[in-house]
Amino acid sequence: MSDDNKLARKALRSSYISTVISISLVLFLIGSLGVLLLNAKYLSDYIKENVVLTILLKQDAAEQDIQNLKSQLEGNAYVSSVNYITREQAAEDLQKDLGEDFTNFLGFNPLLPVLEVKLKPEYAEENNLNQLKETVQQKGIVKESYFQESLLNAINKNIRNISLIILGFSLVLFFIAGALINNTIRLSLYAKRLLIKSMKLVGATRNFIRKPFILQGVLQGLYGAIIANLLLVATFYYAKTQIPEIIAFENPMNLGIVMAIVVFLGIFISGMSTYFAVNKYLRQRTEDIF
Amino acid sequence: MTTAEHPIVSLHDANIYVKKNLILTGVNLQVSKNEFVYLIGKTGSGKSSLLRVLFGDIKLNQGDGNVAGYNLVKLRQRDIPFLRRKLGIVFQDFQLLSDRTAKDNLLFVLKATGWHDKNKIDDRINEVLQKVGLSTKGFKLPHELSGGEQQRLAIARALLNEPELILADEPSGNLDPETSNEIMNLFFELSKTRCSVIMATHNYSLIERFPARIIRLETGKVIEN
Repeated sequence: MSDDNKLARKALRSSYISTVISISLVLFLIGSLGVLLLNAKYLSDYIKENVVLTILLKQDAAEQDIQNLKSQLEGNAYVSSVNYITREQAAEDLQKDLGEDFTNFLGFNPLLPVLEVKLKPEYAEENNLNQLKETVQQKGIVKESYFQESLLNAINKNIRNISLIILGFSLVLFFIAGALINNTIRLSLYAKRLLIKSMKLVGATRNFIRKPFILQGVLQGLYGAIIANLLLVATFYYAKTQIPEIIAFENPMNLGIVMAIVVFLGIFISGMSTYFAVNKYLRQRTEDIF
Repeated sequence: MTTAEHPIVSLHDANIYVKKNLILTGVNLQVSKNEFVYLIGKTGSGKSSLLRVLFGDIKLNQGDGNVAGYNLVKLRQRDIPFLRRKLGIVFQDFQLLSDRTAKDNLLFVLKATGWHDKNKIDDRINEVLQKVGLSTKGFKLPHELSGGEQQRLAIARALLNEPELILADEPSGNLDPETSNEIMNLFFELSKTRCSVIMATHNYSLIERFPARIIRLETGKVIEN
């Protein structure tokens, strides 16, 4: 008899475990896609932030005018940072690179003072850069300004396409995940429909019957999410050791956000599915159960 | 609400449908407090359906009906659990919770009906288990109990909340004569002290040994003997 007992408990536990595993696998897929999406955004931001509008100033530009232009640029809503490189500093940098004091044998410093303007990633577009370039060039102290037009266009176009594809894919996957988890939970509750009916017959209110089921559903979602997150961390840790350039820019916050979303989705989808499935059997009349 | 003059069960011109099929027509039935009533009739004559109307599992749409102060026609979904708490129901197929032990089956009912005090709960569970002779089997799962033991557990559960009315569908079906005598004695005792009993049965020898009012179901009608 105790063998019977063990078997019954084992069967119960294994169905519980397989539900949790189904949930965790689906959540793992969603999480992976989320990490990819965030990385794509982070990568594109990184590249865009580093598109530089270089402004070459005239050699005889007055320090005061340069400072004025600098603070004017810093006040621009599109601009994230302005780096001012004086002639002396430029010469120093070049000296370091060459390993030789070239001003000595030239007799003068031929370099020009430079302002390097970086834009905020959300404004790093060709139009904005061109507009900025034109405004700047009207200034008397500016000799020339330029940026890498073709690079910027290529980045913007590709990142937009890739993000759209991944985003669309994520949405589809989200619905698939919802449907799969919902199905799994409904199946596991179908096995308990007679139990629910018996509970109704002995005078338990709907709320009283529902509570433990929902608690279990939420826990299942939570456990599934924890397993999914462990898988996620393991996978991306492994991927990083193998192909570091893929997640070279990875920010630990990103993974944290994705993990939090996975936990939320796990609990939310699992809890809601349980709620609706239990309600279905609570509403069902005795004749319709069989 | 239910004084001696008020019957615990009263049905007037009730038509009972299961899904769309008319099972019983023009049912008139009164059961007063402390009364013991047999419900007899062939299988499929509508005994179970009649009982199910009384505990709100089949809605009464035509006629009038009243059980333990609840109007069966106006019965709302959310009233049903509270109606059932006034009843003790012994189901033909027991309706035990198969995933928990005998004691936990009883515990579920007590918790569902608002018991909180752990000591009182334990005392009550032991008391009813004793009454049906299962005090040593509380730790077993329903499928580990014999048919008769499951039936006695179902009876124990029906007694938990000191019901005003016991509805029993073939409660002695799987019991040996000795045990079924004990159970019948228990029911008769209950009907004398605090509640009414309606029992559906085929067991005519039982009726001979424990005579009481008999209601017969035949060709879709309720006939008083």
